[in-house]
Amino acid sequence: MTAAGVGPDAGAVSPAGQGRPPGRLAGLALVSLERSRQLTGPVAGVAAAVILFLLLQSDNFTSTLVVDMLVYAIAAMALDFLGGYTGLISLGQAGILGVGAYGVAIAEVHFFSPWAAVGISLAVVLALGLALGIVAVRVKGVSFVIITLALGQVLWGLAFQWVGLSEGDNGISVATLPTLGPFDLNDPLTLRMTVLLVFWVVALLLVLMVHSPFGLSLRGVRSNEARLAALGYRTGLHRYLAWVITVFFTGVAGVLYVFVNQLISPSTMDFSANGLFVIMVVLGGLRSIWGPALGAAVIVGFQQELSIYVTRWQTLMGLTLIAVVLFSPGGFWGLVRAAGRRPDALLARLRARQVTRPPPAPASRAPAQQGETR
Amino acid sequence: MAEFVAQTLNGLTLAGVIFLVSSGFTLIFGIMRVTNLSHGAVYLLGGYIGYSVIAATHSFFIGLIAGALSMAAFGLLLERTLITWLGRSEMSELLATLGLIYVLDDVALAIWGGTPLTINLPGVLGQSSTLPLSGIVYPNGRLFILGVSVVIAVGLYYLLRRTRVGAIIRAGVDDREMVGALGINVRLVFALVFTLGTLLAGFAGVLGGTVLNLYTGADSDILLFALAVVIVGGLGSYEGAILGSVVIGLVDNYGTAYFPAIAYSVLFIPVILVLLIKPQGLLGKPST
Repeated sequence: MTAAGVGPDAGAVSPAGQGRPPGRLAGLALVSLERSRQLTGPVAGVAAAVILFLLLQSDNFTSTLVVDMLVYAIAAMALDFLGGYTGLISLGQAGILGVGAYGVAIAEVHFFSPWAAVGISLAVVLALGLALGIVAVRVKGVSFVIITLALGQVLWGLAFQWVGLSEGDNGISVATLPTLGPFDLNDPLTLRMTVLLVFWVVALLLVLMVHSPFGLSLRGVRSNEARLAALGYRTGLHRYLAWVITVFFTGVAGVLYVFVNQLISPSTMDFSANGLFVIMVVLGGLRSIWGPALGAAVIVGFQQELSIYVTRWQTLMGLTLIAVVLFSPGGFWGLVRAAGRRPDALLARLRARQVTRPPPAPASRAPAQQGETR
Repeated sequence: MAEFVAQTLNGLTLAGVIFLVSSGFTLIFGIMRVTNLSHGAVYLLGGYIGYSVIAATHSFFIGLIAGALSMAAFGLLLERTLITWLGRSEMSELLATLGLIYVLDDVALAIWGGTPLTINLPGVLGQSSTLPLSGIVYPNGRLFILGVSVVIAVGLYYLLRRTRVGAIIRAGVDDREMVGALGINVRLVFALVFTLGTLLAGFAGVLGGTVLNLYTGADSDILLFALAVVIVGGLGSYEGAILGSVVIGLVDNYGTAYFPAIAYSVLFIPVILVLLIKPQGLLGKPST
């Protein structure tokens, strides 16, 4: 999205850059170009918001697909908060999502009202996150992955084997969704808009947190925990809070999942599903929040669309993950960022030329350019 | 009582299969710091290949060897290509082998289909006999698996503790750089250990195929066992793999027998206890 917005800027810049000693007009042009470059992100975001909003208006195949993508995107972004920023990659994400979904379904089976079911589900997810966090954040890196994988498998096992509670392989269907006055989630349009709204709220909260002092110290925990601990930060508590936040948002995605699909069964949270979340985040790009949302859209699209035409789409997906790990560790979002970096470098070069006045001799210009492009 | 003894034997049989898988997993991690998540898929693939070879040759033992050797070759190839290309980044290796799971599973599904397959043991191994003392009638095949795993466990112990190669591997687990600095060809040791690990997994796949079915998803089940074992026993510790396998095999079997609804969670109890009390595992060293 950003890349598309950047293109025209880059084209418009070059005539100003080629030429004569820059005057006032050129200076103004440069400032406005810089402004518009700064605005590409927000503009792309607003464009995405508008497009998503319009796509979800009608009740058709596309809107169903987009809603699915949004639900998975919420959980994928939450996983990025933990995995990308804190360095704790969880392979139990689908399990947590399943807890949120089963929470609603099981509560409704036991005759709780839909709103109460949502409350119970989120409370269970939160309690689970608080409790499991004590165990899970005692370890880091590979051990954390292994433990969350085991956790995810256990949650799947419960859903699969504890037939009395979960109705086993058949899963549980949820017929009635919450209603509040004119706000009725049983109405498909209202439901889609709610999913969209929750998506934006979670995304913006995550972005805010990432850029907050808390988010910065999480990055510190990831890159050099010992140093941060020496500076007096309670790094264990940081990891614990990041885990709880991620678990909670994933539970929210789970609640939305069961509302959208009106069915939750163990296959939603099996090993393959747990792995898919990690694939979404890595393909999309660790440490970008938006990248994993993109990754979720691609994977869900893969799963629901491509699987019709390509029988061996899982092979394709596995190979894609391996290729991304090998060749493009930044994922899709890394490519988007790289696309944005070129106009940035160009603008910076122009700015450097503006600052050094009177127009510098070619000899002194060359090193400055090198410095910028580096 | 007879029931309990039979369940204990079942648990130990399962422990045998789990040990063969997790010892390879833990050796690979211990020496190379590679978390090979596709280890379970290697197990399953070895089992499937063994199944096909047995179907073609009507010989269980040729199938057993074929399953083990084919996976050894696969492991060597994997180590020389993907693992080498990734250049020692723990998380990249973990993610790449996660991707590999989807590829291997999908290929296995395309070739062998989704119907669970079982490998039949030949001749006397396929029969049952009455055990002395307790008078329980018990399948010979399970006793065979138990015996084979014990022999391999002892053999590996001998290799690791009493031979030069074993000394190099153990030293490598403790301090890779130092071993390299002493002039030992670390690359060769890596390739050797990785191959040994996948060989054991393929071997376990054929043996396991006789008592546990071969099916899509068997790989993640066996991977969970291996992971539980290394958490309980300690990542990278060979003795830990033996201890962990016995604990996990027994706990899982008792769980399945006596608490079928929550068998998977019963498995998690020792895991949680170990994590709370000794996060590095019962026989593991504190993480570096």
